[in-house]
Amino acid sequence: MLVPVTYSTRSLLVRRWTSIFTAGGIGLVVAVTILLAGLVGGLQRMLVGTGDPDNLVVLRKGATNDGSSFLTREAVQIVRALSGIATGADGRPLVSPEIINQPFIRTREGGRENVLVRGIEPVAFQVHRDVRLVEGRMLQPKLGEVVVGKGVALRHDGAHVGGRLSFGRRTWTVVGVFDGGGTAFESEIWADLSDVQDDARRPSGCSGIRLRVAPGADRQALIDRIAADARVTLEAKPETVYYEEQADAANSLYVLVLVLAVIMATGATFGALNTMYAAVAGRTAEIGTLRALGFSRTAILLSFLSESLLLAAGGFVGGVVLGVVAMWAVNTLLQGVAFSMMTFSVATVLLQPSTTGVLLGLLFAVAIGGLGGLAPAWRASRLRVVDALHRA
Amino acid sequence: MTYGRLVLRNLSRHPLRSLFTTLSIALSIFLVCAVLSLPSALAAILDKAVSNTRITVHHEAGLTYLLPASYVNKVRGVPGVAAVNHFTWFGGIYDEPKNMFPNFGIDPDTVADMWPDYKIDPAALRRFRAVRNAALVGEQTMRKFGWKVGQMITLRGTAFPVNLTFEIVGMIPAASGNPVVLWFHHKYLEESLQPRPGWPFSGFPFVGMVWVQVDRPEHVERVMRDIDALFHNSEAETAAETEKSFFQNFMSSYQGFIRVILGVGFLVVAAVVLIAANTSAMGVRERIPEIAVLKSLGFRRRPILTVLLCESMLQGLVGGAVGAAGAFFLFRALAAAGKTGGLGPLLGPLGSFYMSPATAMQGLAIALVVGFVSGIVPAWNGARLNVIDALRRLF
Amino acid sequence: MIEVHDVSKLYRRGVDLVHALEHVTMQIPRGRFVALMGPSGSGKSTLLNLLAGLDRPDSGEVVVEGEALSRLDEDALAAWRARHVGLVFQFYNLLPVLSAIENVELPLLLTDLSRGERRRRAEIALEAVGVPHRAHHRPQQLSGGEQQRVAIARAIVTDPDLLVADEPTGDLDAKSAVEILTLLRELNQAFEKSIVMVTHDPRAEAYVDTVIRLDKGVLVNGSDPHR
Repeated sequence: MLVPVTYSTRSLLVRRWTSIFTAGGIGLVVAVTILLAGLVGGLQRMLVGTGDPDNLVVLRKGATNDGSSFLTREAVQIVRALSGIATGADGRPLVSPEIINQPFIRTREGGRENVLVRGIEPVAFQVHRDVRLVEGRMLQPKLGEVVVGKGVALRHDGAHVGGRLSFGRRTWTVVGVFDGGGTAFESEIWADLSDVQDDARRPSGCSGIRLRVAPGADRQALIDRIAADARVTLEAKPETVYYEEQADAANSLYVLVLVLAVIMATGATFGALNTMYAAVAGRTAEIGTLRALGFSRTAILLSFLSESLLLAAGGFVGGVVLGVVAMWAVNTLLQGVAFSMMTFSVATVLLQPSTTGVLLGLLFAVAIGGLGGLAPAWRASRLRVVDALHRA
Repeated sequence: MTYGRLVLRNLSRHPLRSLFTTLSIALSIFLVCAVLSLPSALAAILDKAVSNTRITVHHEAGLTYLLPASYVNKVRGVPGVAAVNHFTWFGGIYDEPKNMFPNFGIDPDTVADMWPDYKIDPAALRRFRAVRNAALVGEQTMRKFGWKVGQMITLRGTAFPVNLTFEIVGMIPAASGNPVVLWFHHKYLEESLQPRPGWPFSGFPFVGMVWVQVDRPEHVERVMRDIDALFHNSEAETAAETEKSFFQNFMSSYQGFIRVILGVGFLVVAAVVLIAANTSAMGVRERIPEIAVLKSLGFRRRPILTVLLCESMLQGLVGGAVGAAGAFFLFRALAAAGKTGGLGPLLGPLGSFYMSPATAMQGLAIALVVGFVSGIVPAWNGARLNVIDALRRLF
Repeated sequence: MIEVHDVSKLYRRGVDLVHALEHVTMQIPRGRFVALMGPSGSGKSTLLNLLAGLDRPDSGEVVVEGEALSRLDEDALAAWRARHVGLVFQFYNLLPVLSAIENVELPLLLTDLSRGERRRRAEIALEAVGVPHRAHHRPQQLSGGEQQRVAIARAIVTDPDLLVADEPTGDLDAKSAVEILTLLRELNQAFEKSIVMVTHDPRAEAYVDTVIRLDKGVLVNGSDPHR
């Protein structure tokens, strides 16, 4: 027969502060895990989630991102004429020439950072399906109007409908805010292509092209066609692949975060070990009594192990609450976390609660509870009844 | 037999428990040191590579806006200007985009005047001036890729449609200068840029930014004002700022990330305080009879409090020393191996592992505080124990 | 010379109020070996605590060698104890992390003596109780009797006027108990140490000068009986 669970729970409650502290240590490990997983998750979502599988990014051959690429107007015309490209409702090809510029912009704290400004034509909203205007209206050409991503709206004071932003050589009027589904676009300011060309003193051409592959068309064939065209030196890749490559660094971060969490969890395991060993040492009389009453070694082992796991469970619950609250605080009070992207401009990452984080936290809690309780539980089960009662 | 010995003996009472607690603290302080090294890396960069007589002049709108090359000579003519140089960002990649490091086309003739504090070998500087495709490379970047002086390397152009091959002629020491950068001749880039499909320009009469060495620190403010006034209302307005201000602005975008990491560090410390406090409390609880005996012998609250508190603080100190030392040597090994964890693009200069002795000291200090905070309540309660109650509990 | 004037002590146990001592008056001349005896709950341990300055009476006065204990505050009482009283308990006398000689040195930490001097006195004390050869052993390595000897050495190392022992033989086997009682008797006679001992042990009567009996907080056979 097994030792009743109430014995374990009561024992925990009797040592109230010890239990709270040990569970607290475990809880903090869980909270940190959730927080960091949220950070990485938000980053991955932004980097990897950005990218429509049906879109292609066309850059100059050798360019690593659209910030360092350059295409002429002629190249854009050539690409527009290729077959295999989707057409919009008006029959025109869904080819969006875009120019990237990274001017300074003042931050709330009075500092200065780079912001990514994307000069576009109206077709861009059709090509980038995930981007939707949620406030205000679409910008008009050559009027110095911009629409801003949600991340920009959070981060800068003038970035609301009707507000004005100063960057580049002039001030611009904000006429709309767009939602990008948590993607990198939300940290961008979109302006009229010719306005940006003017501001950046690049009279013709653009940084890159985004286009939609025609439904049913052979995507790879189109990519090959673009690469093989001798009139231009371009290369195309699927938008998802493009952002995946940028996500490389996020993956390194993930490893680092895991290492950090494992180290922390190890520390908490030592804490649990201390607690459980002390518990066993202090209750030799009880153990002797239980054994004398007829409970088996295994029953004792399981009883102490379950005590340790109960502590871990309590810690897990507390940790999840703390983690979620902390995430909310970072997102709301700090407006997310600013990261420098490969393009050297700043993107805001909102922490993303993820099941991965919670599961990872659970894993850690169980590991700590299990490992921290196993050795002491083993010792408890190995006590000789005679010794145990005698020591009482 | 002294109080000190009593403290030590008490810690060795439960060797396993002391070991576990010490390791817990060590691991946490290891993490804390790692976390603290980020802002200190920032501070180190600001302190090391910054001079109080150097200023940068860049386009007022942003770093991606270019300045006309003619500006360089115009700036040279401003009174108070001792030397000028210019940087144009090339953005070349050696192997993978994630291992990107800053590389610039510069003026090879005034390097010695502009950056005397970098302490670059004069022979290397001479060769740099003489050879058209010469390159000076920062020590950290050299280690990372395993380059040697005299080696030929090729950088794949991203912002510019050319690949450039360089001969490495010298190293910029990490101790005194910018450890990551690569410098080459601006003219080499210019000559390589010929009109071609996809690049309609001929030549490249632009520079990214102008560096200025001012003759005396007192003149810096005035020189900056004069330069900006010179180009006010022209095609490209300039914003001159001190080197320190430039780097600080550059770093300000990392603040958010650092804040989150510091928050994590705080949670790590909180966790270890809980663990250590638990151990302390357990230890004191078990020793109530002994404390009663000590009190009956005439030991007063203060010595008992001191002994108990010293125990937990000593434990914190030992754990902290192990953790800080571990972090320090691990980071040094990683830095020597040139590893940056591939976080270069994401964290920029913070991605390199650098831990200063000051950070180790901070870690130790935090460990002592942990020892104090975790021990104070149990120690206080233990010292305040009522002898009679305790004795009565025994018999 | 110990004087107890009309001392009463009350304490709470759970919800009950226990009258541990009721208007006890007595005198113990200097140099006496006294046994305090009586059934469980008679108040003998309470009285012992008062004599040793470990506790205060609720009413009445305890005067030891002219020092009125109630006039001393906590700290002064502690200092007085350190100087004038040696204590021996039934259990948990010795700190398990210290060796025998280190345990004996413990009270001397409260004095101004140098380290060498402390060590010397401790050695002498261990000699006096007959276990000098066990100086560097830990309590776990000593028998019950040896542990009590070390405890007695610690009690005398500060050369106190008064030795107070609470059931010193309570946890010992017959042979060790006799040894301890003999040792106490020797210390009393050779060094003229006043000893007040609470005990259940009937054998103790043969070793002491005076037996004071208590029952339910009052003296049973009057005050100051002589043998």
